[in-house]
Amino acid sequence: MSKAIGEWSPAAGHAVARTAGETKAKVRARSTSNLQRHARALAWHLAPWLLPAALFALWSIGCERGWIAPQILPPPRMVFDTLCDLARSGDLAHHTFVSLQRVLLGFGAGTLAGLLIGAALGLSRTVESYVLPGFNALVQIPVLGWLPFLLLLVGVGEPLKYILIAHAALVPVTLSTMQGFRQTPAALDEVARVFGYGHWQRIAYVVLPAAVPTLATGVRLALTKAWLALVVVELVASSEGLGYLIVYGRQLFQLDLVMASVVIVGAIGFAINRLLDALEARLRRGQPSAFRE
Amino acid sequence: MPSLFSFQAPRRPFRTRLGNPPPCACEAPATPLREGTPGRRARPLLDRFDWRGLVLPLALFALWWLVSALRLVKSGLLVSPADVAHTAWQQIESGALLRALSASLAREASGFVIGTAGGLLLGSALGLSRIAARAIGPTFDTFKQISLFAWIPLISVWFGLGDMAKVVFLSLAALLPVAAHTCDGIHAVPRRYVEVAHALRYSRLQLIRHVILPAALPTIFTGLYLGLIYSWLATLGAEYLLVAGSGIGNTLIDGSEQFRMDLVLFGVIVVGLTGWTLNALARGIERRVMASRGEGRERAAARNGAARRYQAVHQREANT
Amino acid sequence: MSTTVSEGIRIRGVSKRYARQRENGEDLLVLDDISLDIAAGEFISVLGASGCGKSTLLRLVAGLDTDYRGDIGVDGERVRDTSLERGIVFQDHRLFPWLTASQNILAALRNAPLSPRQKRAAVAEHVALVGLQGFEHAYPHQLSGGMAQRVAIARGLVNRPRVLLLDEPFGALDALTRARLQHELQRIWERERITMILVTHDVDEAIHLGDRVVTMAPRPGRIERITTVDLPRPRERGDPRFVQLREQILADFSERTHAGGAN
Repeated sequence: MSKAIGEWSPAAGHAVARTAGETKAKVRARSTSNLQRHARALAWHLAPWLLPAALFALWSIGCERGWIAPQILPPPRMVFDTLCDLARSGDLAHHTFVSLQRVLLGFGAGTLAGLLIGAALGLSRTVESYVLPGFNALVQIPVLGWLPFLLLLVGVGEPLKYILIAHAALVPVTLSTMQGFRQTPAALDEVARVFGYGHWQRIAYVVLPAAVPTLATGVRLALTKAWLALVVVELVASSEGLGYLIVYGRQLFQLDLVMASVVIVGAIGFAINRLLDALEARLRRGQPSAFRE
Repeated sequence: MPSLFSFQAPRRPFRTRLGNPPPCACEAPATPLREGTPGRRARPLLDRFDWRGLVLPLALFALWWLVSALRLVKSGLLVSPADVAHTAWQQIESGALLRALSASLAREASGFVIGTAGGLLLGSALGLSRIAARAIGPTFDTFKQISLFAWIPLISVWFGLGDMAKVVFLSLAALLPVAAHTCDGIHAVPRRYVEVAHALRYSRLQLIRHVILPAALPTIFTGLYLGLIYSWLATLGAEYLLVAGSGIGNTLIDGSEQFRMDLVLFGVIVVGLTGWTLNALARGIERRVMASRGEGRERAAARNGAARRYQAVHQREANT
Repeated sequence: MSTTVSEGIRIRGVSKRYARQRENGEDLLVLDDISLDIAAGEFISVLGASGCGKSTLLRLVAGLDTDYRGDIGVDGERVRDTSLERGIVFQDHRLFPWLTASQNILAALRNAPLSPRQKRAAVAEHVALVGLQGFEHAYPHQLSGGMAQRVAIARGLVNRPRVLLLDEPFGALDALTRARLQHELQRIWERERITMILVTHDVDEAIHLGDRVVTMAPRPGRIERITTVDLPRPRERGDPRFVQLREQILADFSERTHAGGAN
């Protein structure tokens, strides 16, 4: 569900509104004047901004009137100023860069490893028999569960972050890759047999392309999880990065710093999702997902 | 997720090719087929168990044992399996494990229940009301994008470091997927059924109760399942970051602060087992409920168990 | 649900258009001034190729769609919305997958003013009517296409509507099952004697079942011809009169192909 603001169009909800007894609305609508219709369209366009605007107003007024102490919730102005300060001093760029670097490298490494392991698991039953059960058992332990273990093993440093982020990415990618390689539709397999494809030809021309949607899903999930892991690791054990900023601000009770960092974290998360949406839409152009069912 | 001992579950969906009998003898594979070949008499369970899966874990375990016994690595961190077992026994006997685990699970349960209730309400509102979806939906969507754990420091300021803050955080962790999936499930109800209800003169309430709810139930269940998983993950994270109180996460972090690898390893195993149990529980309940509705599709999915489940989870998670 | 003399269905000057899809396109006229009178208890087959608006017309009569110009009256009352007096059977059976066969039929009675015992009796009666005894507790995915469609028919009839509307009900079935179900439908009609409007693209089906066959032409949808089928039931497809009627009606279609170019 990665619809952007303004794209919500619940079909069933719409249908619900139109069930038994609500044809009156239609009759009413037909007799409305142009002005009313325009007003309604305007209201429709502005609706998504209603709630944020109300919350923002509440926030501003609350701080102004002193209902809320600045230690509990700093005024919006302060948060904005802090953001600008961060940007100007270069701190923002520095910490963001550190975080992004960690997430991208970790994600890259984890995804690559995941693709390889997943491919091996998917293509060879032998490998699957030997490796999969152990892998499944290890997967039961979430990334966060490994954190203390790795803390002891590699200490608080860059390796810790990279290992955890890579692990967070590796698990979903491995599982989806394995599944994608395993679940080539039998129908396509038969066509390959009719064409007399050899083992590797089959893998290259049938299994791989057919596995791409599943792979994409896994990679997408991996990026989300990698980002999540990054935030946690930086919150728990880091001296640099956006997560660190949040913790630092929290310890000094500089909530404006905390909120500014949360905003940036959110913005990056949002950007990642949009990017993946666009990428997926592009890749999916030739692949109707129905064929996977 | 399939455990070490449930080889049947992940195998079945992948057996499509080997499982079908060859069209003629000339096409019979060189190696003998495994289970799934029609005509073979049923072999005892022990026989069907794939021992190869144990090879790697046992080898690693043996290696660990050897290294620690021979003290090949000079480090205070190298603990032997015996140490871990000893610590485990200590923890269990002294009741420390029970206290920690029950504290964590109690918090998770409360968080899950509150989050699910809120999530169902919010998701239903978003799903059923166009206005609500338009006004609240985009804000909710944006809110969802922010990495969950980034909220902890703020929550710690507003609610302290103790149980209250943790439960708030856990509720949030459960609420997001439940609301998202409930809303999705309701939106995904095919219009065909809504039309039938219209033709049968169902009132709005009847439509929701008798058509939309049953049709959306599978998706809602996926949301609940994810809510459980996420709130469990959130439990651990919350205990790392909101250190007041006790719980299995605290045990782990304490262990790492005291440089006690044996305690940490013990904690890791406990976390893994608990996660698996919760997983199995959730799947079991879902299967039971789906079976009573006689959804053929769902039964097939349950049979193909873990693989399909993870695929579905992937699809859902990737979309949230 | 009444047993008084009903006036049947009156369709007068019904037109429907869809607003144009593209900027410089035209409005799509789906139905153009349709007028038809259907007597109570009559079986009408509406025949036409895809795109001639026959399904749209059926939905208008059902009340699923209320955006049209003209007049549609059932027993003197204008059609404003759906009604339990007008049962409908869809091409995709649209049974609720989470209910068993009998529960699906029962679902149609949710708003009926009957006691639970009466409802159960009605369900049992209609299960027997469509010949599905023994399958009451089967879920739709466990039923074959033909059986599911029979449940859908039972569901359409259980409220004892004055009119039963069938939108290509047998289109998704194989030829053998189709023939059997056509026979079943005829048997049910002869027993219940309610007005039935069947929409189909199968000429044989239309002639086999209908008192009158209304042939519709596409773009815009309009009534081309109304043929009265004066043959006694049960009708034999090999009967020379049957064959003659079929040739007559088919001739309409091929004429249109020759005269109007690409359809």
